[in-house]
Amino acid sequence: MNSPVKIWRNQKKIKELLGKEGVIISWTQVRVPLAGFEEQAPYYVVLVRLADRNYLGQLVDVTGIVATGQKVKAVIRRLRRPEAEDVIPYGIKFVLLA
Amino acid sequence: MKVAVLGAATTQFGELWDISPRALVREAVSEALLASNLRITDIDALYVGNMLSGILGGQENLGAFFAEELGFAGPAFKIEGACASGGLAFYNGAVAVRSGMFERVLVVGVEKMTDHKPEDVALGLMGAGSDVERQAGITFPGLYAILARAHMEKYGTTEEELAAVAVKNHFHAVLNSKAHFNNLITIAKVLASPKIADPLKLLDCSPISDGAAAAVIVSEAVAQKGQTPVWLIGAGVASDSLGLAGRKEITSLSAAKRAAKLAYKAARVGPRDIEVAEVHDCFTIAELIALEDLGFYEPGKAGKALLREELTLGKAQHLVVNPSGGLKACGHPVGATGVKQVVEIVSQLRGTSGKRQVEKTRIGLTHNVGGSGAVAAVHIFQGKAGSGKGKG
Repeated sequence: MNSPVKIWRNQKKIKELLGKEGVIISWTQVRVPLAGFEEQAPYYVVLVRLADRNYLGQLVDVTGIVATGQKVKAVIRRLRRPEAEDVIPYGIKFVLLA
Repeated sequence: MKVAVLGAATTQFGELWDISPRALVREAVSEALLASNLRITDIDALYVGNMLSGILGGQENLGAFFAEELGFAGPAFKIEGACASGGLAFYNGAVAVRSGMFERVLVVGVEKMTDHKPEDVALGLMGAGSDVERQAGITFPGLYAILARAHMEKYGTTEEELAAVAVKNHFHAVLNSKAHFNNLITIAKVLASPKIADPLKLLDCSPISDGAAAAVIVSEAVAQKGQTPVWLIGAGVASDSLGLAGRKEITSLSAAKRAAKLAYKAARVGPRDIEVAEVHDCFTIAELIALEDLGFYEPGKAGKALLREELTLGKAQHLVVNPSGGLKACGHPVGATGVKQVVEIVSQLRGTSGKRQVEKTRIGLTHNVGGSGAVAAVHIFQGKAGSGKGKG
Protein backbone atom coordinates (compact mmCIF):
# COMPACT_ATOMS: atom_id res chain seq x y z
CA MET A 1 0.00 0.00 0.00
CA ASN A 2 2.63 2.55 1.05
CA SER A 3 5.97 2.96 -0.68
CA PRO A 4 9.06 3.25 1.58
CA VAL A 5 9.59 6.82 0.43
CA LYS A 6 6.02 7.76 1.35
CA ILE A 7 6.45 6.22 4.79
CA TRP A 8 9.74 8.12 5.22
CA ARG A 9 8.08 11.40 4.19
CA ASN A 10 5.13 10.92 6.55
CA GLN A 11 7.31 9.91 9.51
CA LYS A 12 8.19 13.57 9.94
CA LYS A 13 4.59 14.24 10.92
CA ILE A 14 4.71 11.68 13.74
CA LYS A 15 6.99 13.73 15.97
CA GLU A 16 4.67 16.75 15.73
CA LEU A 17 1.93 14.70 17.36
CA LEU A 18 3.79 12.32 19.65
CA GLY A 19 2.99 12.86 23.34
CA LYS A 20 0.23 15.39 22.66
CA GLU A 21 -2.85 15.12 24.82
CA GLY A 22 -6.44 15.63 23.75
CA VAL A 23 -10.09 14.80 24.36
CA ILE A 24 -12.30 12.26 22.58
CA ILE A 25 -15.02 14.07 20.57
CA SER A 26 -16.58 10.92 19.09
CA TRP A 27 -15.64 7.29 18.67
CA THR A 28 -16.56 3.93 17.20
CA GLN A 29 -15.49 0.33 17.52
CA VAL A 30 -14.76 -1.13 14.09
CA ARG A 31 -15.86 -4.79 14.01
CA VAL A 32 -15.53 -5.41 10.28
CA PRO A 33 -11.96 -4.34 9.54
CA LEU A 34 -10.10 -2.84 6.64
CA ALA A 35 -7.65 -5.05 4.71
CA GLY A 36 -4.39 -5.07 6.70
CA PHE A 37 -6.14 -4.64 10.05
CA GLU A 38 -7.86 -8.03 10.31
CA GLU A 39 -5.89 -9.31 13.32
CA GLN A 40 -6.59 -6.13 15.31
CA ALA A 41 -10.41 -6.30 14.99
CA PRO A 42 -12.44 -5.27 16.82
CA TYR A 43 -10.61 -1.99 17.41
CA TYR A 44 -11.57 1.46 18.64
CA VAL A 45 -11.15 4.55 16.45
CA VAL A 46 -11.47 7.95 18.09
CA LEU A 47 -11.82 11.51 16.82
CA VAL A 48 -9.67 13.56 19.17
CA ARG A 49 -9.53 17.30 19.79
CA LEU A 50 -5.90 18.30 20.30
CA ALA A 51 -4.76 21.84 21.17
CA ASP A 52 -4.37 22.98 17.57
CA ARG A 53 -6.27 20.47 15.46
CA ASN A 54 -8.55 17.43 15.40
CA TYR A 55 -7.01 14.05 14.66
CA LEU A 56 -8.45 10.62 13.96
CA GLY A 57 -6.65 7.50 15.16
CA GLN A 58 -6.96 4.15 16.84
CA LEU A 59 -7.40 3.94 20.59
CA VAL A 60 -5.37 1.02 21.94
CA ASP A 61 -4.67 -0.75 25.26
CA VAL A 62 -8.32 -0.26 26.23
CA THR A 63 -9.34 -2.23 29.33
CA GLY A 64 -12.45 -0.34 30.47
CA ILE A 65 -15.17 1.69 28.85
CA VAL A 66 -14.65 4.29 26.12
CA ALA A 67 -16.65 7.54 26.14
CA THR A 68 -16.57 11.02 24.65
CA GLY A 69 -14.83 13.54 26.89
CA GLN A 70 -12.12 11.09 28.00
CA LYS A 71 -8.55 12.36 27.86
CA VAL A 72 -6.08 10.59 25.59
CA LYS A 73 -2.40 10.83 24.68
CA ALA A 74 -0.70 10.22 21.30
CA VAL A 75 1.73 7.29 21.23
CA ILE A 76 3.68 5.57 18.47
CA ARG A 77 2.60 2.08 17.39
CA ARG A 78 2.77 -0.27 14.43
CA LEU A 79 -0.20 0.72 12.28
CA ARG A 80 -1.15 -2.42 10.40
CA ARG A 81 0.10 -5.72 9.07
CA PRO A 82 2.72 -5.02 6.38
CA GLU A 83 2.83 -6.94 3.13
CA ALA A 84 5.76 -9.39 2.77
CA GLU A 85 8.16 -6.84 1.26
CA ASP A 86 6.79 -3.69 2.91
CA VAL A 87 8.53 -1.42 5.35
CA ILE A 88 6.72 -1.91 8.67
CA PRO A 89 4.46 1.16 8.98
CA TYR A 90 4.51 3.00 12.32
CA GLY A 91 2.34 5.95 13.25
CA ILE A 92 0.15 7.67 15.81
CA LYS A 93 -2.37 5.86 17.97
CA PHE A 94 -3.93 6.98 21.24
CA VAL A 95 -4.07 5.59 24.77
CA LEU A 96 -6.44 6.66 27.54
CA LEU A 97 -4.97 8.83 30.28
CA ALA A 98 -5.74 7.45 33.71
CA MET B 1 -30.55 28.19 -21.45
CA LYS B 2 -32.84 25.50 -20.07
CA VAL B 3 -31.65 21.93 -19.66
CA ALA B 4 -33.88 18.87 -19.58
CA VAL B 5 -33.63 15.13 -19.03
CA LEU B 6 -35.22 12.91 -21.67
CA GLY B 7 -34.72 9.15 -21.35
CA ALA B 8 -33.41 7.78 -18.08
CA ALA B 9 -33.00 4.17 -16.99
CA THR B 10 -31.27 1.85 -14.55
CA THR B 11 -30.36 -1.80 -14.68
CA GLN B 12 -31.27 -4.21 -11.95
CA PHE B 13 -29.18 -3.43 -8.85
CA GLY B 14 -27.75 -6.29 -6.79
CA GLU B 15 -25.18 -9.06 -6.75
CA LEU B 16 -24.96 -9.53 -10.51
CA TRP B 17 -22.12 -12.03 -10.81
CA ASP B 18 -23.00 -13.02 -14.37
CA ILE B 19 -23.16 -9.48 -15.78
CA SER B 20 -20.09 -7.44 -16.76
CA PRO B 21 -19.73 -3.65 -16.39
CA ARG B 22 -19.90 -3.40 -20.20
CA ALA B 23 -23.22 -5.26 -20.29
CA LEU B 24 -24.61 -3.17 -17.42
CA VAL B 25 -23.80 0.08 -19.21
CA ARG B 26 -25.08 -1.19 -22.55
CA GLU B 27 -28.41 -2.11 -20.99
CA ALA B 28 -28.97 1.17 -19.14
CA VAL B 29 -27.87 3.26 -22.14
CA SER B 30 -30.00 1.33 -24.65
CA GLU B 31 -33.10 1.93 -22.57
CA ALA B 32 -32.32 5.62 -21.96
CA LEU B 33 -31.63 6.26 -25.65
CA LEU B 34 -34.75 4.40 -26.76
CA ALA B 35 -36.88 6.45 -24.38
CA SER B 36 -35.23 9.61 -25.74
CA ASN B 37 -35.92 8.63 -29.33
CA LEU B 38 -32.19 9.06 -30.01
CA ARG B 39 -29.39 6.85 -31.28
CA ILE B 40 -25.84 6.77 -29.93
CA THR B 41 -24.69 8.64 -33.06
CA ASP B 42 -26.96 11.54 -32.06
CA ILE B 43 -25.05 12.00 -28.79
CA ASP B 44 -22.51 14.84 -28.59
CA ALA B 45 -20.62 13.76 -25.46
CA LEU B 46 -20.44 10.95 -22.90
CA TYR B 47 -19.85 11.43 -19.15
CA VAL B 48 -19.13 8.34 -17.06
CA GLY B 49 -19.41 8.37 -13.27
CA ASN B 50 -17.35 5.66 -11.58
CA MET B 51 -15.18 5.33 -8.51
CA LEU B 52 -13.54 1.91 -8.16
CA SER B 53 -12.79 0.47 -11.61
CA GLY B 54 -9.11 1.43 -11.32
CA ILE B 55 -8.39 0.42 -7.75
CA LEU B 56 -10.44 -2.80 -7.83
CA GLY B 57 -10.53 -3.86 -11.46
CA GLY B 58 -7.31 -2.34 -12.78
CA GLN B 59 -9.28 -0.64 -15.57
CA GLU B 60 -8.95 3.11 -16.06
CA ASN B 61 -9.60 5.24 -19.15
CA LEU B 62 -13.30 4.61 -18.70
CA GLY B 63 -14.42 7.32 -21.12
CA ALA B 64 -12.85 5.48 -24.03
CA PHE B 65 -13.66 2.07 -22.50
CA PHE B 66 -17.42 2.67 -22.55
CA ALA B 67 -17.31 4.76 -25.75
CA GLU B 68 -15.91 1.68 -27.48
CA GLU B 69 -18.58 -0.52 -25.96
CA LEU B 70 -21.36 1.84 -27.04
CA GLY B 71 -20.01 2.49 -30.54
CA PHE B 72 -19.45 6.14 -29.70
CA ALA B 73 -16.55 8.13 -31.13
CA GLY B 74 -17.07 11.62 -29.64
CA PRO B 75 -15.72 13.21 -26.49
CA ALA B 76 -15.96 10.84 -23.51
CA PHE B 77 -15.02 11.64 -19.92
CA LYS B 78 -14.80 9.80 -16.63
CA ILE B 79 -15.79 11.80 -13.57
CA GLU B 80 -14.74 10.60 -10.12
CA GLY B 81 -15.91 11.97 -6.78
CA ALA B 82 -16.17 8.83 -4.61
CA CYS B 83 -19.82 7.91 -3.98
CA ALA B 84 -20.86 11.22 -5.59
CA SER B 85 -19.24 10.24 -8.91
CA GLY B 86 -22.65 9.78 -10.55
CA GLY B 87 -23.99 13.10 -9.29
CA LEU B 88 -20.84 14.89 -10.40
CA ALA B 89 -20.99 13.25 -13.85
CA PHE B 90 -24.59 14.42 -14.20
CA TYR B 91 -23.62 17.93 -13.04
CA ASN B 92 -20.81 18.10 -15.61
CA GLY B 93 -23.09 16.85 -18.38
CA ALA B 94 -25.67 19.49 -17.48
CA VAL B 95 -23.03 22.24 -17.37
CA ALA B 96 -21.85 21.21 -20.84
CA VAL B 97 -25.36 21.40 -22.31
CA ARG B 98 -26.11 24.64 -20.52
CA SER B 99 -22.90 26.17 -21.86
CA GLY B 100 -24.14 25.56 -25.39
CA MET B 101 -21.14 23.37 -26.17
CA PHE B 102 -23.29 20.25 -26.59
CA GLU B 103 -26.99 19.64 -27.26
CA ARG B 104 -27.32 15.98 -26.35
CA VAL B 105 -25.20 14.50 -23.58
CA LEU B 106 -25.29 10.94 -22.29
CA VAL B 107 -24.49 10.48 -18.60
CA VAL B 108 -23.75 7.00 -17.28
CA GLY B 109 -23.02 5.87 -13.75
CA VAL B 110 -21.67 2.37 -13.18
CA GLU B 111 -19.99 0.28 -10.51
CA LYS B 112 -19.02 -3.39 -10.34
CA MET B 113 -18.31 -4.21 -6.69
CA THR B 114 -19.22 -7.83 -6.01
CA ASP B 115 -16.31 -9.27 -8.03
CA HIS B 116 -14.04 -8.39 -5.09
CA LYS B 117 -13.77 -9.49 -1.48
CA PRO B 118 -15.27 -7.18 1.17
CA GLU B 119 -11.97 -6.13 2.83
CA ASP B 120 -10.64 -5.03 -0.57
CA VAL B 121 -13.86 -3.17 -1.40
CA ALA B 122 -13.68 -1.49 2.02
CA LEU B 123 -10.08 -0.45 1.38
CA GLY B 124 -10.97 0.75 -2.12
CA LEU B 125 -13.82 2.85 -0.73
CA MET B 126 -11.41 4.32 1.82
CA GLY B 127 -9.68 5.86 -1.20
CA ALA B 128 -12.37 8.51 -0.65
CA GLY B 129 -11.01 9.32 2.80
CA SER B 130 -7.77 10.84 4.02
CA ASP B 131 -4.38 9.21 4.48
CA VAL B 132 -4.73 9.53 8.25
CA GLU B 133 -8.09 7.74 8.14
CA ARG B 134 -6.61 4.83 6.20
CA GLN B 135 -3.75 4.62 8.70
CA ALA B 136 -6.28 4.43 11.53
CA GLY B 137 -7.90 1.40 9.89
CA ILE B 138 -11.27 3.09 9.88
CA THR B 139 -13.91 1.99 7.39
CA PHE B 140 -16.78 3.95 5.89
CA PRO B 141 -19.25 2.44 8.35
CA GLY B 142 -16.77 3.57 11.03
CA LEU B 143 -16.66 7.17 9.78
CA TYR B 144 -20.44 7.41 9.68
CA ALA B 145 -20.58 5.74 13.11
CA ILE B 146 -18.47 8.63 14.42
CA LEU B 147 -20.96 11.08 12.87
CA ALA B 148 -23.85 9.05 14.34
CA ARG B 149 -22.45 9.07 17.87
CA ALA B 150 -21.82 12.82 17.72
CA HIS B 151 -25.41 13.40 16.50
CA MET B 152 -26.83 11.11 19.19
CA GLU B 153 -24.90 12.85 21.94
CA LYS B 154 -25.74 16.37 20.73
CA TYR B 155 -29.45 15.89 19.93
CA GLY B 156 -30.47 12.72 21.75
CA THR B 157 -30.97 10.87 18.45
CA THR B 158 -31.68 7.20 19.13
CA GLU B 159 -30.78 3.91 17.45
CA GLU B 160 -34.53 3.39 16.86
CA GLU B 161 -34.70 6.65 14.89
CA LEU B 162 -31.78 5.51 12.75
CA ALA B 163 -33.43 2.11 12.25
CA ALA B 164 -36.60 3.84 11.01
CA VAL B 165 -34.64 4.99 7.94
CA ALA B 166 -33.81 1.41 7.00
CA VAL B 167 -37.37 0.21 7.66
CA LYS B 168 -38.83 2.93 5.40
CA ASN B 169 -36.37 2.37 2.60
CA HIS B 170 -36.85 -1.41 2.59
CA PHE B 171 -40.63 -0.79 2.42
CA HIS B 172 -40.10 1.38 -0.66
CA ALA B 173 -37.69 -1.10 -2.25
CA VAL B 174 -40.29 -3.84 -2.10
CA LEU B 175 -42.22 -1.73 -4.64
CA ASN B 176 -39.16 -1.42 -6.92
CA SER B 177 -38.41 -4.42 -9.11
CA LYS B 178 -34.89 -3.08 -9.84
CA ALA B 179 -33.93 -2.90 -6.15
CA HIS B 180 -31.17 -4.98 -4.55
CA PHE B 181 -33.43 -5.99 -1.63
CA ASN B 182 -37.12 -6.86 -1.71
CA ASN B 183 -37.75 -7.75 1.92
CA LEU B 184 -39.54 -5.83 4.64
CA ILE B 185 -37.66 -5.30 7.90
CA THR B 186 -38.63 -3.99 11.33
CA ILE B 187 -36.96 -1.67 13.82
CA ALA B 188 -36.42 -4.66 16.12
CA LYS B 189 -34.67 -6.55 13.32
CA VAL B 190 -32.35 -3.61 12.60
CA LEU B 191 -31.49 -3.27 16.29
CA ALA B 192 -30.78 -7.01 16.55
CA SER B 193 -28.53 -7.15 13.47
CA PRO B 194 -24.77 -7.62 14.01
CA LYS B 195 -22.73 -4.55 14.87
CA ILE B 196 -20.45 -3.33 12.08
CA ALA B 197 -19.04 -0.17 13.72
CA ASP B 198 -20.85 0.86 16.90
CA PRO B 199 -23.49 2.27 16.95
CA LEU B 200 -24.11 1.22 13.34
CA LYS B 201 -25.34 -2.29 12.68
CA LEU B 202 -25.55 -4.37 9.53
CA LEU B 203 -29.06 -3.15 8.68
CA ASP B 204 -27.98 0.48 9.12
CA CYS B 205 -25.62 0.01 6.16
CA SER B 206 -26.22 0.08 2.41
CA PRO B 207 -25.06 -3.07 0.60
CA ILE B 208 -22.19 -3.67 -1.81
CA SER B 209 -23.98 -3.73 -5.17
CA ASP B 210 -23.46 -3.90 -8.91
CA GLY B 211 -25.48 -1.72 -11.25
CA ALA B 212 -25.60 1.03 -13.84
CA ALA B 213 -27.85 3.99 -14.61
CA ALA B 214 -28.05 6.33 -17.59
CA ALA B 215 -29.72 9.65 -18.38
CA VAL B 216 -29.85 11.78 -21.52
CA ILE B 217 -29.48 15.53 -20.94
CA VAL B 218 -30.57 17.84 -23.76
CA SER B 219 -30.95 21.49 -24.61
CA GLU B 220 -34.36 23.14 -24.65
CA ALA B 221 -34.48 22.99 -28.45
CA VAL B 222 -34.05 19.21 -28.44
CA ALA B 223 -36.23 18.66 -25.36
CA GLN B 224 -39.56 18.73 -27.13
CA LYS B 225 -38.79 15.44 -28.93
CA GLY B 226 -39.00 12.03 -27.27
CA GLN B 227 -40.48 11.63 -23.78
CA THR B 228 -41.95 14.42 -21.71
CA PRO B 229 -38.95 16.50 -20.67
CA VAL B 230 -38.15 16.92 -17.00
CA TRP B 231 -36.39 20.22 -16.41
CA LEU B 232 -33.28 20.65 -14.32
CA ILE B 233 -34.08 23.89 -12.49
CA GLY B 234 -31.23 24.04 -9.98
CA ALA B 235 -27.89 22.42 -9.26
CA GLY B 236 -25.15 22.84 -6.68
CA VAL B 237 -21.85 21.14 -5.88
CA ALA B 238 -19.62 21.91 -2.91
CA SER B 239 -16.46 20.47 -1.34
CA ASP B 240 -15.04 20.05 2.16
CA SER B 241 -12.05 18.45 3.88
CA LEU B 242 -11.41 14.84 2.86
CA GLY B 243 -11.23 13.64 6.44
CA LEU B 244 -13.59 14.11 9.39
CA ALA B 245 -10.79 15.64 11.44
CA GLY B 246 -10.77 18.67 9.14
CA ARG B 247 -14.44 19.58 9.76
CA LYS B 248 -15.70 22.40 11.95
CA GLU B 249 -18.69 20.30 12.99
CA ILE B 250 -19.62 16.67 12.56
CA THR B 251 -23.38 16.62 13.19
CA SER B 252 -24.07 17.94 9.70
CA LEU B 253 -22.27 17.91 6.34
CA SER B 254 -21.26 21.44 5.39
CA ALA B 255 -20.70 20.51 1.73
CA ALA B 256 -24.26 19.19 1.45
CA LYS B 257 -25.71 22.29 3.09
CA ARG B 258 -23.79 24.56 0.74
CA ALA B 259 -24.66 22.49 -2.36
CA ALA B 260 -28.33 22.60 -1.37
CA LYS B 261 -28.22 26.36 -0.87
CA LEU B 262 -26.81 26.81 -4.38
CA ALA B 263 -29.42 24.51 -5.90
CA TYR B 264 -32.36 26.10 -4.07
CA LYS B 265 -31.18 29.56 -5.07
CA ALA B 266 -30.83 28.64 -8.75
CA ALA B 267 -34.21 26.90 -8.76
CA ARG B 268 -35.88 29.71 -6.82
CA VAL B 269 -37.53 27.17 -4.55
CA GLY B 270 -37.08 26.22 -0.91
CA PRO B 271 -37.17 22.98 1.08
CA ARG B 272 -40.96 23.25 1.50
CA ASP B 273 -41.44 23.08 -2.28
CA ILE B 274 -39.81 19.66 -2.58
CA GLU B 275 -42.35 16.83 -2.82
CA VAL B 276 -40.08 13.88 -3.58
CA ALA B 277 -36.37 13.45 -2.82
CA GLU B 278 -33.71 10.83 -3.33
CA VAL B 279 -31.08 11.38 -0.63
CA HIS B 280 -27.74 9.72 0.05
CA ASP B 281 -28.50 7.12 2.73
CA CYS B 282 -25.27 5.12 2.52
CA PHE B 283 -25.91 4.62 6.25
CA THR B 284 -29.10 5.39 8.16
CA ILE B 285 -27.43 8.32 9.93
CA ALA B 286 -26.59 9.78 6.52
CA GLU B 287 -30.28 10.08 5.59
CA LEU B 288 -31.14 11.59 8.96
CA ILE B 289 -28.40 14.21 8.55
CA ALA B 290 -29.42 14.78 4.91
CA LEU B 291 -33.00 15.61 5.96
CA GLU B 292 -31.59 18.31 8.23
CA ASP B 293 -28.90 19.55 5.83
CA LEU B 294 -31.49 19.95 3.06
CA GLY B 295 -33.68 22.06 5.36
CA PHE B 296 -36.59 19.60 5.53
CA TYR B 297 -36.20 19.55 9.33
CA GLU B 298 -34.44 21.62 11.96
CA PRO B 299 -31.21 20.04 13.28
CA GLY B 300 -32.11 17.29 15.73
CA LYS B 301 -35.73 16.97 14.54
CA ALA B 302 -35.49 14.49 11.66
CA GLY B 303 -35.26 11.39 13.85
CA LYS B 304 -38.67 11.91 15.45
CA ALA B 305 -40.22 12.57 12.01
CA LEU B 306 -38.78 9.30 10.76
CA LEU B 307 -40.30 7.42 13.70
CA ARG B 308 -43.66 9.05 12.86
CA GLU B 309 -43.22 7.70 9.29
CA GLU B 310 -43.74 11.20 7.85
CA LEU B 311 -41.58 10.46 4.83
CA THR B 312 -43.00 7.06 3.90
CA LEU B 313 -44.96 6.45 0.70
CA GLY B 314 -48.70 6.28 1.43
CA LYS B 315 -48.26 7.98 4.81
CA ALA B 316 -46.40 11.17 3.90
CA GLN B 317 -48.41 14.38 3.84
CA HIS B 318 -45.98 16.50 1.93
CA LEU B 319 -42.64 14.86 1.10
CA VAL B 320 -41.59 11.28 0.29
CA VAL B 321 -37.90 10.47 0.72
CA ASN B 322 -36.10 7.69 -1.13
CA PRO B 323 -39.06 6.12 -2.95
CA SER B 324 -36.58 3.95 -4.91
CA GLY B 325 -35.50 2.30 -1.66
CA GLY B 326 -32.48 4.59 -1.44
CA LEU B 327 -28.92 3.35 -1.22
CA LYS B 328 -29.93 1.25 1.77
CA ALA B 329 -32.37 -1.02 -0.02
CA CYS B 330 -32.27 -0.24 -3.76
CA GLY B 331 -28.51 -0.81 -3.49
CA HIS B 332 -25.38 1.30 -3.74
CA PRO B 333 -23.18 0.62 -6.76
CA VAL B 334 -21.27 3.76 -5.84
CA GLY B 335 -20.62 5.33 -9.26
CA ALA B 336 -24.17 4.53 -10.41
CA THR B 337 -25.99 5.92 -7.37
CA GLY B 338 -26.02 9.63 -8.28
CA VAL B 339 -27.40 8.89 -11.74
CA LYS B 340 -29.91 6.38 -10.36
CA GLN B 341 -31.26 9.09 -8.06
CA VAL B 342 -31.88 11.28 -11.13
CA VAL B 343 -33.56 8.37 -12.94
CA GLU B 344 -35.92 7.86 -9.99
CA ILE B 345 -36.85 11.54 -9.66
CA VAL B 346 -37.38 11.90 -13.42
CA SER B 347 -39.68 8.88 -13.37
CA GLN B 348 -41.58 10.24 -10.35
CA LEU B 349 -42.06 13.65 -11.99
CA ARG B 350 -43.33 11.97 -15.18
CA GLY B 351 -45.77 9.88 -13.19
CA THR B 352 -44.33 6.61 -14.49
CA SER B 353 -43.23 5.07 -11.18
CA GLY B 354 -46.07 2.56 -10.97
CA LYS B 355 -46.68 1.12 -7.52
CA ARG B 356 -44.26 3.53 -5.87
CA GLN B 357 -45.57 6.66 -7.59
CA VAL B 358 -45.73 9.69 -5.31
CA GLU B 359 -49.03 11.45 -5.99
CA LYS B 360 -49.25 14.85 -7.63
CA THR B 361 -45.56 15.52 -7.48
CA ARG B 362 -44.12 18.42 -9.42
CA ILE B 363 -40.72 19.24 -7.89
CA GLY B 364 -38.08 16.68 -6.89
CA LEU B 365 -34.56 16.74 -5.52
CA THR B 366 -31.47 14.51 -5.56
CA HIS B 367 -28.72 14.63 -2.91
CA ASN B 368 -25.52 12.68 -3.56
CA VAL B 369 -22.54 12.68 -1.17
CA GLY B 370 -18.95 11.55 -1.71
CA GLY B 371 -16.70 10.35 1.09
CA SER B 372 -17.84 11.23 4.59
CA GLY B 373 -19.07 14.59 3.24
CA ALA B 374 -16.02 15.75 1.28
CA VAL B 375 -18.19 16.49 -1.75
CA ALA B 376 -21.91 16.80 -2.34
CA ALA B 377 -24.09 17.34 -5.39
CA VAL B 378 -27.71 18.51 -5.18
CA HIS B 379 -30.04 18.72 -8.20
CA ILE B 380 -33.61 20.01 -8.35
CA PHE B 381 -36.02 18.99 -11.11
CA GLN B 382 -39.43 20.12 -12.26
CA GLY B 383 -41.88 17.98 -14.14
CA LYS B 384 -44.19 20.31 -15.99
CA ALA B 385 -42.74 21.69 -19.19
CA GLY B 386 -42.59 25.44 -19.49
CA SER B 387 -44.18 26.21 -16.12
CA GLY B 388 -40.83 26.48 -14.38
CA LYS B 389 -40.27 28.98 -11.63
CA GLY B 390 -36.58 28.39 -12.16
CA LYS B 391 -34.20 29.96 -14.57
CA GLY B 392 -33.07 26.55 -15.86
